[in-house]
Amino acid sequence: MNNRRVVVSGIGVVTSLGLDETTFWQNMVAGKCGINRIKAFDIANYKAQNGAEVDNEQLASVMAARQLKASDRTVDFAMAASVEALETAGLKPADVSPQSTEMAVILGTGIGCNHTLLSANEGFEARGIKGVRPTTIPRCMANAISSQISMKFKLTGPNYVVVSACTSATTAMGIAYRMVKDGTVDLALTGGTDAVFEHRIYAGWNNLGVMAVNPLPEKSCRPFDRDRNGCVLGEGAGILVIESLESALRRKARIRGEICGFGESSDASHITHPSPEGQAKAITNALKSAGMTPKDIGFINAHGTATRTNDECESQSIRLAMGGETDRIPVASNKSFFGHTLGASGAIETIATILGLEKKIVPANLNLDNPDPACNLNFVGNEPMPVTAKTAMKNSFGFGGNNAVLVLSRYED
Amino acid sequence: MTQEQIIEKLRTMMRKTSQAKVDWDAVNTDSPIASLGFDSLSILDLVYDIQQELGLEFEAEELVKVKTVGQLAAFLAGKQK
Repeated sequence: MNNRRVVVSGIGVVTSLGLDETTFWQNMVAGKCGINRIKAFDIANYKAQNGAEVDNEQLASVMAARQLKASDRTVDFAMAASVEALETAGLKPADVSPQSTEMAVILGTGIGCNHTLLSANEGFEARGIKGVRPTTIPRCMANAISSQISMKFKLTGPNYVVVSACTSATTAMGIAYRMVKDGTVDLALTGGTDAVFEHRIYAGWNNLGVMAVNPLPEKSCRPFDRDRNGCVLGEGAGILVIESLESALRRKARIRGEICGFGESSDASHITHPSPEGQAKAITNALKSAGMTPKDIGFINAHGTATRTNDECESQSIRLAMGGETDRIPVASNKSFFGHTLGASGAIETIATILGLEKKIVPANLNLDNPDPACNLNFVGNEPMPVTAKTAMKNSFGFGGNNAVLVLSRYED
Repeated sequence: MTQEQIIEKLRTMMRKTSQAKVDWDAVNTDSPIASLGFDSLSILDLVYDIQQELGLEFEAEELVKVKTVGQLAAFLAGKQK
């Protein structure tokens, strides 16, 4: 079996903080928060009224500039981010080079194309059978996301969608990493996308009892803070082009970072309540896969959802897996910037981690005013932290007891 | 609604669904629908959008003989009550 080095050469984001890498990163370093009162539907009767929405006008303008037609919102996010990822990788979407045609497309989503499915439901309620759009099935199947991208850019490697709740994107990137590492493909387009702001889907979240309630949107998401009271959802996509080091050097691509290892596990205990042992196992598996130990990890981009349960459990997991190194390692969650983007979160936060390694800055842990004593870690504070570390870890943990962890490095020869 | 008004609405709906780059301002009554970038799937979407937008009920099979934008507008005008 091959054991090739796998590098990141393309990055694309669609988030409430920006629809391109530069804006996204500048806003993170500046400490801007993309969370506001939800505008997609009338939020008055919902308990949890804050969210990190992608601006519709900006999305329409980016879609038009990138010559994309609107489909399902979940697909639109992934498609728009894919164009940026392909372009930054030096692979022109309009004229994909012969090498790239063998690219795999491995994406994650938590909820999938729910807008299409629920508008079919609306059509049925209004007009009966004839009210259901004839293309509902090809639009709403989860793999429409990767298939549409494969077709649009003529990428003939394998394409499919991984569904594992909030670990979806990290799992997808891990699978794509293995495919490139073992030589199945030279290149892969990978990441995740989710569009949760549909009033009926959101009602499910609202009623689940895990959502933050706070009259101040920018203060509502408080990972690891003593006064946190739940998560704030976001929407968007994060897409990466990854490839073998040989392929990137041959193409003279700008290498943005390296994926060094991937670990996963299942809690096998409860559908929503996480387990420190299960999460720690994924962290340990990721280190083992990278051939590293806790001493090699310079900082951790936490899952950090800001629910009382997650943050406390993740703190225990990190301590279990990192042992005596725990107190040395800075930890931060990005979710107070752009919300919990569910099946996209692993990819957007991996991009933030890669940019952090590249630019030697870890963005702040917004709203961490008083660290919770039950989350006893070495947190990044309310300001960005300069770092020289070469290697970082990205945690993702999901409902279903799904755990997935990536080890990422700044690229050096 | 006049045929001209229907054609204007068709232009908007077709622009949204078409898979091809088309000069929509140049589309007129004689434009063949087959030249406007629809495949077997997207034409179903167009028929659905027309029914929703114009509030008309008809079967897609009734359009077998319709070849141009003008013929489609005339067919739809005839379906209005």
